[in-house]
Amino acid sequence: MYAGKHHRVGIDIGGTFTDLVLIDDETGRRAVGKVLTTPEDPSEAVENGLLELLGRERVEAGQVGTIVHGTTLVTNALIERRGATTALLTTQGFRDALAIGTEHRYDMYDVFIEKPEPLVPRSLRYGVHERSLDDGSIMLELDEDQVRSIVTELRERNVRAVAVSFLHSFRNPAHEQRVGEILAEEAPEISVSLSSEVAPEIREYERTSTTVANVYTKPLVEGYLRSLEERLRQLGFVGSLYIMLSNGGTASVETACRFPVRLLESGPAAGALAAAFYGRATDFPEVLSFDVGGTTAKACLIEDGEPLKSNEFEVARVYRFKKGSGLPVKVSVIEMIEIGAGGGSIANIGPLGLPKVGPRSAGSDPGPACYGRGGEEPTVTDADLILGYLDPDFFLGGKMQLDRDAALRALEKISRPLDLDRVEAAWGIHQVVNENMANAARVHAVERGKDPRAYPLFAFGGAGPVHGYRVARALGVPGFIVPLGAGATSAFGFLCAPLSFDFMRSLFGRLNDLDWSDANAALREMEQEGRGLLRASGVADEDVWVRRLCEMRYVGQGHEVTVELPDGFLGPDDAAPLTNRYRKEYERLYGREGPDVPLETITWRLEVSSSRPEIRLDREESTTGEPGEAIKGDREIYLPEEGDFATVPVYDRYRLGFGAAFDGPAVLEERESTVVLGPDSQAEIDGARNLVVRWPE
Amino acid sequence: MSESRLDPVLLEVFWNRLVSIVEEQARALMRTSFTSVVREAGDLSAGLFDQRGRMVAQAVTGTPGHVNAMATSVHHFLREVPAETLEEGDVLITNHPWQTSGHLNDFTVLTPIFHGGSVVAYFGNCCHALDVGGRGLGADARQVYEEGLLVPVTRLFVRGEPNEELFRLVRANVRAPFEVVGDLYAQAGSNDVGGARLVEMIEEFDLGNIESLSDEVRTRSERAMREAIEGLPDGVYENEAYTDGFDEPIRLCVSIRVEGDEMVVDYEGSSPQSERGINVVLNYTAAYTTFGVKCAISPDVPNNNGSFKPIRVTAPEGSILNALHPAPVGARHIVGHFLPSVIHGALAKVVPDKVLAQGADSLWNTQITGERDRPFTYVFFSGGGMGARKEGDGLSATAFPSGIRGVPAEVIESISPIVMHRRELRPDSEGPGRRRGGFGQEMEIGVRSQAPWVLSAMYDRTRWPAQGIQGGSPGGAGAVRTADGRELHPKRQQPMQAGERAVLSLPGGGGYGEPSEREPDLVARDVGDGLVSVERAREVYGVVLKSGEEPGSCVPDPEATASLRAASRPEERS
Repeated sequence: MYAGKHHRVGIDIGGTFTDLVLIDDETGRRAVGKVLTTPEDPSEAVENGLLELLGRERVEAGQVGTIVHGTTLVTNALIERRGATTALLTTQGFRDALAIGTEHRYDMYDVFIEKPEPLVPRSLRYGVHERSLDDGSIMLELDEDQVRSIVTELRERNVRAVAVSFLHSFRNPAHEQRVGEILAEEAPEISVSLSSEVAPEIREYERTSTTVANVYTKPLVEGYLRSLEERLRQLGFVGSLYIMLSNGGTASVETACRFPVRLLESGPAAGALAAAFYGRATDFPEVLSFDVGGTTAKACLIEDGEPLKSNEFEVARVYRFKKGSGLPVKVSVIEMIEIGAGGGSIANIGPLGLPKVGPRSAGSDPGPACYGRGGEEPTVTDADLILGYLDPDFFLGGKMQLDRDAALRALEKISRPLDLDRVEAAWGIHQVVNENMANAARVHAVERGKDPRAYPLFAFGGAGPVHGYRVARALGVPGFIVPLGAGATSAFGFLCAPLSFDFMRSLFGRLNDLDWSDANAALREMEQEGRGLLRASGVADEDVWVRRLCEMRYVGQGHEVTVELPDGFLGPDDAAPLTNRYRKEYERLYGREGPDVPLETITWRLEVSSSRPEIRLDREESTTGEPGEAIKGDREIYLPEEGDFATVPVYDRYRLGFGAAFDGPAVLEERESTVVLGPDSQAEIDGARNLVVRWPE
Repeated sequence: MSESRLDPVLLEVFWNRLVSIVEEQARALMRTSFTSVVREAGDLSAGLFDQRGRMVAQAVTGTPGHVNAMATSVHHFLREVPAETLEEGDVLITNHPWQTSGHLNDFTVLTPIFHGGSVVAYFGNCCHALDVGGRGLGADARQVYEEGLLVPVTRLFVRGEPNEELFRLVRANVRAPFEVVGDLYAQAGSNDVGGARLVEMIEEFDLGNIESLSDEVRTRSERAMREAIEGLPDGVYENEAYTDGFDEPIRLCVSIRVEGDEMVVDYEGSSPQSERGINVVLNYTAAYTTFGVKCAISPDVPNNNGSFKPIRVTAPEGSILNALHPAPVGARHIVGHFLPSVIHGALAKVVPDKVLAQGADSLWNTQITGERDRPFTYVFFSGGGMGARKEGDGLSATAFPSGIRGVPAEVIESISPIVMHRRELRPDSEGPGRRRGGFGQEMEIGVRSQAPWVLSAMYDRTRWPAQGIQGGSPGGAGAVRTADGRELHPKRQQPMQAGERAVLSLPGGGGYGEPSEREPDLVARDVGDGLVSVERAREVYGVVLKSGEEPGSCVPDPEATASLRAASRPEERS
């Protein structure tokens, strides 16, 4: 497919570092690059990193066929409120939907909570004379003259972006579309998003919030991606640039510019994809992906080699990371649970006199006490250091020296009030944070009707491998897997992503007397649109995958359950098998048979994607199947089974090759992460150079 | 009990697990409920009780009135049906107002959890039923008998089999049998989810039961609550407040006596019980009292039987806050919701930094019945403005103390013939202050039908606006009228003509601190947002505005503002 252009590059812009991964599809060779992120113009770090990596690996930019890029630009713009001056045109009488939100106090007892300020101030929220009803009928025709006079005012007020969100537009988008046309005629310089295109779903607050977030970041994203394309072209890159999306797919620059809100959380999504890829490559199609960074831990179930997806997300939380304090965004995301438990999470004593960890984090500045940058609070990393799990001289491959004394001093804030010694306090912090992570993972699995004990834990991220073994044991899972390069797994995940597009249509009706021709028409439209987009990106028709889903519910209930639709034309004969499928799924989710009530369909979804890119994994020459040869030393680590420190071997992760097998306890080190194994571990390096750990039943 | 030998780390691990179990229990109910106030608004509670029926953990859900009341209700269950007579698969139910959460519309469902052949714990939940027969939800009744079907403690399921006779009785008595019965199944299912997880946990850690865990958590919670009370100076703190009542105003008097690490909250002096259904049973009074105290002095301490212990709540028998059977109680929240702000007003004297000014307090509950093709009934709850805090403006259109959510207009319209013509913040309804109260909201509601309809109003603060504290001013009072301006009664079921619309103007919250101390920029922002008028900015806040650089914007005029504020100050003092 890419004649002469057999290299692919994944580029993940994070808060601190920009990670790059280069793969040679002919040889399976992998190389990793890391440069500091340049917040002013992130495309600068991309260029620097790419030049450095390509230069080191002796690859010409012209030999790169594909670059897949993920960015936190949209997330950051929403957190830092750096988007365009945006106006909202909404149904007369509802301009405060954004401010009223759900009317909910997300913390029952805390009277000091704050709610997120709407992205559009009230003075830029306009009520438009128009009204549709829930069946799509029009109660009040659109007042076009009023719209035109509002547009004149918007231009006077230097508005750069406009969200249009009318009541029930997910049922009848005509008025929104007409306003879009008027805006295009009268103010072509203004970016516009229609709620019926961005998030055609019921619930005015969430739909409007999503549409506003989309258009608010649109000028910024367009500017950035165009400048990036330009830079890459100047470097001699003539391949395709794709953008990583929150649902684990990738899209063209054009689509990304239209729906920037779909770029949220693409880094974590890529991590889950990487977990899915390694899982498939190593005969673990079902794993629990477990990604621990500095401030948060994320868990995600991978089933049949695919991560689960969801359609609800919240961004830019304003009050203590609390759920409910952010802006709701309805986009397709890889479904994961995220909790405030990472290496930088701070331990304290809670109101009951018990140790608590997180969600407050020391971040990277000042960071954990052991960073020696003025942090005084005890963090998870401090505890890990004192327990011997981290080597003060080999943190980030030795780039950074850790201060044990500072960590010990900080731990006194926990050990004194609990009357423990400092090692006991460190072990307490380690154990509490592991349990928090395990609980989160358990809730994530159980809410989806899955038994978490069935899934091996796939751990990555800077702090995942240190905690993975104990979290896996707390969850009662059958094994624990750590990929090579666990600290840069997300960037690798970019290269595992297929090209994909999601569509949805709201189509209400009772399943037993549905107008199936409407449903078939909607599905056909979505499929044609999707195939068209893929074709335009160079995907052959026979390589296109289509997945069709319908969200249904019992008439009268409020939450939907998603059911996969069979192929081909649908008709009345499909009602009975779909009902069966629904009932099975419902019972699996909620444990009890559902009531004997008819079903109604709500949202019809369709996903098209290209085949997944193939990745060869090489076996490098410099490795060894003889574990003894990879031991680079030993050190004392705390083993609760012994109630004390014990000396264990330290392996050089880079030297361990296919087939190397050894038992715990042990430590494995690579530059960006450290694996800690307990006493009963049986470890082995598999064909993809993953570390696979099992234990006796 | 002796200081247990559970080490603190393990205890924290277990405790977190229990919290995640009750959260899961609550979520299962929200997802499977057929009633939009349960699943959209979160009008439910869920909790775990030990072998002796003492509440250990509860989910954080929308309704403090439910949860804290459920803590006592379990003892009533176990008195009526002793634990030793329970069998695996039995599920109990009641909606007895005096034993549970104060009106017939809340069904509490309790499930004993068996492990190794005996009961190790109970899971209970309580949620709002769409209908329980009688006159329909409202304040109009004169006796509880008119308010619907009372189900005394009964088995809902017997050894796993539904008690068909009870289900038939319920179906025959309610207007929405399908939703009501569907919810009873959902409630039982939610307890099953909690039970299954608890048994897994007991097995995983080989606990046998949760008694020592329960003792430890409750003891620690009690100790933390006692420490919080001890942080208050000893003394008696009093406050009084008024609410609209049904026709006559109701006086709520509180006297909080703090002595060492204990607190007695007494409501002596409050109005006698009402002829109409706004009476509060003591159980519900206690629930909102402990909630109000907790928000002010110990928001982080878990709610359980231990944390309730150091607080005693009393109210004279036959008073509005300790109404006696068979008083009507349907709209009891209309009075109960005022208790936290009455308490905060009393505690403002000792912990002014930690309390709220009064807000709209009572939820505005609207029930609409009518006919389009077939009869329908629909209920939704809305919040006015919250009171201001020392460092923050009050939240607009946000309920307190209730923690329910509003229901989106699109959802209301898609499951009922109601049309929401308007739902916006209500300008000039904020209580002025250095920190202003939250704005109320205004809604205009009609029904798509050729038939007349009935508005059952349960609204308050139409005559007694939310008071400010520390020099803050009151918020705007609520109002309810038709779109043509005809006044409506805030607490009656009243007929509406076909095509007629009701306009609900919800009250704003009270302010905190002197309005003349509010930063002029913040006043200008509210004016720019169209939420405060230019006149009000000048007259109430003493802020003079001039046009800003942006067309149509305004900024404070510093000199004019300073001289206006200086001129008005001595006058105020004299």
